[in-house]
Amino acid sequence: MSIEGVLQEGFVTTSLDKLINWTRTGSLWPVTFGLACCAIEMIHTGVSRYDLDRFGVVFRPSPRQSDVMIIAGTLTNKMAPALRKVYDQMAEPRWVISMGSCANGGGYYHYSYSVVRGCDRIVPVDIYVPGCPPTAEALLYGIIQLQNKITRTFTIAR
Amino acid sequence: MSAKLDKLCQNLRDVLGQRIGSLGVDRGEVTLVVAAADYLEVATTLRDHPDLCFEQLMDLCGVDYGAYGEVAYSATNPAGTPRFAAVSHLLSLTHNWRLRLRVFAPDDGFPVVDSLVDVWNGVNWFEREAFDLYGIMFSGHPDLRRILTDYGFVGHPFRKDFPVFGHVEMRYDPAQQRVVYQPVTIEPREVTPRIVREDNYGKVDDRG
Repeated sequence: MSIEGVLQEGFVTTSLDKLINWTRTGSLWPVTFGLACCAIEMIHTGVSRYDLDRFGVVFRPSPRQSDVMIIAGTLTNKMAPALRKVYDQMAEPRWVISMGSCANGGGYYHYSYSVVRGCDRIVPVDIYVPGCPPTAEALLYGIIQLQNKITRTFTIAR
Repeated sequence: MSAKLDKLCQNLRDVLGQRIGSLGVDRGEVTLVVAAADYLEVATTLRDHPDLCFEQLMDLCGVDYGAYGEVAYSATNPAGTPRFAAVSHLLSLTHNWRLRLRVFAPDDGFPVVDSLVDVWNGVNWFEREAFDLYGIMFSGHPDLRRILTDYGFVGHPFRKDFPVFGHVEMRYDPAQQRVVYQPVTIEPREVTPRIVREDNYGKVDDRG
């Protein structure tokens, strides 16, 4: 078997890590998890003006089909076990974006009796997007930052 | 007071008579206070009597007056105002007028008032909310359980003696692989607002 034919057609070389990361960053499917007003901004990011589909970000109705969870809004004590369950149902590799002040650290409701003071008490968080609520651009920037973070990870070479 | 509210007050006095605890009009809104014993009967009359016809209950909420009532309501209630009240807002579509109906729960330690579910069916969840947040019991309610707070929540958070940061908080316990409760770890923070007020604050401006 010779490679003359291949040389005529042309080829590219890459590392398997880069290929894996390219596929991962190109199809970040978030589980739809809107909790409060931040969800509205998340929807703004998703629909036509900013159009998350351009980045391969497609909202999924099931955690089992998802790679990333965008926690958009206030996480209450009552919701926390459900959120953890959804997170546990996601397949590896998985990432979490914490969106807005409430999810980041309790925000306005930090001293409330019913609110988790930051969703990182419940699930590990990769990207924090500040704002109350963050603009659609801010969430978009957070998603791009997550893509950059994934690009820097190595699955094969450690 | 407009002629319409005059008419409403007059109708209330005619129909209810001695069962009126107090009847007041403030800012164009009529408030009727009744005793807990008369509450259910008055509510039924308010709904069914053709001169009143309050077909609809818009809202019911609990109130914790705390120490407030000792000052404001001592004139009308020399024995001291009870701490908890259930306040409902009624609307008559027939006559296009509204009424606020308030009933104080006699016992501060175990506040109980009658449930209005048999009069206005939609009050069901409002009474559950008032029970959840204030601990007011509604006797005759078919399904009186918590509606807003967490499953297994202890206490009634809108009571004035409930600390705003609560008693417990949540975190994920990696050892048990589940979300667990723990006592509150944050420092209590009581904010006393700084009052900035000019000398002539609240005085009527006579410049016209």
